[in-house]
Amino acid sequence: MKIMSVFRDIRRRDPVALGWAVVLLVVLLAIAIGPLFAQDPAHIDPLVRLQGPSGAHWLGTDEYGRDILGRVLSAGGVSLGLGAVVTGVSVVAGTLIGMYSGFYVRADGVVMRLMDALLAFPPLVLAIALVAFLGSGATSEVAALAIVYTPFLARTIRGTTLALRGRGYITAARCAGLTGTKILWRHVLPNAAPTLLVQASFIYAFALLSDAALSFLGLGVAAPTPTWGNMVDEARPYLMQEPGFIIFPGLAVVIVVMALNYIGDGIRNLVDPRSRAVLDLERLRRRTPVPTDAKEPVRA
Amino acid sequence: MPAVILRRVRDLVITLVLVGTIMFFVVHMLPGNPAVAMLGTFATKAQIAQLTHALGLDQSLIAQYGTWLKNAVTGDFGDSIGFQEPVTRVVLSHAGPTALLAVVTTVISLVIAIPLAAYSAARPRSWWTRLLTPVSVFGIAVPNFWLALVLIIVFGVTLRVLPIAGYVSPVTDLPGAVVHLILPIIVLVAGQAALFVRTLRESILAELLQLYLRTARAKGARERVVILRQLLPNALIPLMTVVGTSLGTLLGGIVIVENIFVIPGLGSLLLQSINSRDYPLVEGITLAIALSYVVINLLVDLLYVAIDPRVRIR
Repeated sequence: MKIMSVFRDIRRRDPVALGWAVVLLVVLLAIAIGPLFAQDPAHIDPLVRLQGPSGAHWLGTDEYGRDILGRVLSAGGVSLGLGAVVTGVSVVAGTLIGMYSGFYVRADGVVMRLMDALLAFPPLVLAIALVAFLGSGATSEVAALAIVYTPFLARTIRGTTLALRGRGYITAARCAGLTGTKILWRHVLPNAAPTLLVQASFIYAFALLSDAALSFLGLGVAAPTPTWGNMVDEARPYLMQEPGFIIFPGLAVVIVVMALNYIGDGIRNLVDPRSRAVLDLERLRRRTPVPTDAKEPVRA
Repeated sequence: MPAVILRRVRDLVITLVLVGTIMFFVVHMLPGNPAVAMLGTFATKAQIAQLTHALGLDQSLIAQYGTWLKNAVTGDFGDSIGFQEPVTRVVLSHAGPTALLAVVTTVISLVIAIPLAAYSAARPRSWWTRLLTPVSVFGIAVPNFWLALVLIIVFGVTLRVLPIAGYVSPVTDLPGAVVHLILPIIVLVAGQAALFVRTLRESILAELLQLYLRTARAKGARERVVILRQLLPNALIPLMTVVGTSLGTLLGGIVIVENIFVIPGLGSLLLQSINSRDYPLVEGITLAIALSYVVINLLVDLLYVAIDPRVRIR
């Protein structure tokens, strides 16, 4: 019954994050099973082009008369999948680089200089430049975004590893004759896992925004495969005729990224004692009147 | 203090050399001849050979790197293929609008964020405070290109009160420049101000746990004085770092906003040079943006050392 008590704890501490987790779950479900019921996202029907929401097309139609709901859902699969791959690759690479360079001082200087150099580029600018040289398309987009986000994770995990390295149980493990790799995987990684989870949810959110921006600029996945970003780009010439065409794919990005941000904050509030203390204090201050409302202090 | 500065400048130089090296090898180690890519499908073999030689691509990679590094140190990044001018000159002539957008956005975001965060710390039970988190998360989550288009629909197309594109230099026509900058700046401020409010609120809440506030209250100071004089200066220090680091996100946003609102800055130039396969220019713009980003963060860090004595002791 431990899971239930953890769940109760989350519900009591952070109902907002839980609410957004539910929203995200609904969106994922819609994207997973929606296409079975929604209309074919590739079906062209020029007779009904650029129409507003109606009974036949819940979110309206685009410039070829394709169903926008169907396209937003199938774009969701593409965008979320791509973001998930980027997040997965950066989490694995960032964790390996961060753990080993935090633990082995000799490798640290060189590796972290390289990470710093990558961090010296504004993220989206580096991604744009990399895609420009790698050529546009899903594979180079994933590669570019993974290169952009890996250093962020490597830095964080290196910090966590450095902090853990001095702990007594690590020294004990070393005295017991464990090799560096074993210590890292058995003792450092489990303790870095909460940080990793928080970072992963933010990286996922950033990756989705960057993916949307890249495909909006025509540097990501290209039409006719819909993504949330390239749908907005396609809708650009028609913003005077049918605003819904632009609104809905963007709204999908907003909802998912907001959910990921809230979930990331929620996990952080749950695992980080410092932000937990801050959160408790804020809650307390909401319930009890602040000194401003009190009368002037009585002076002797 | 000078030792700290020297160390930071040394680190910066190392980082910049690495940054340039990374860019060089990304451009030169990729499969395929850039000359072919630049000339397109219909180029003849002679044309390709000529451009390959002109770009120095027929030399060994190490020799090319040596030449590149030697030129880069003197500020020479080659010639732009599209403009037929030195890259450095093209970049400098487009830097104005980008710098203007960055500075104005940062200043307005700070002016909005600091009072909001301070107010929400002083009045934890007000409705504004409760609205602040959802609004700031929305500001961070909203894709800037989408927000820009939605604002264009509302203010440019439906209400017809603001121009939807174009750039007027503030030197020649200040009112015209302001009118043209309103929409781009709103888009950029949405993300920046949201980030600043969140950071500042978190650091204010963390400061609230500190005991010096209790001391101040115990001495009979009013809550307003406690927050404005004691708490805010301390809580502002972490915000300073975020102003520097978030410049990366801001510059990315500026690239998009310049593209949508047709502002002739480095962002538009970057996308234009990518489309015309002007690789020396792409390399130059990326390096220039990275350089300004790193230098500004160095200045922020030095300011940090000057303001916060705790850092100096370390």
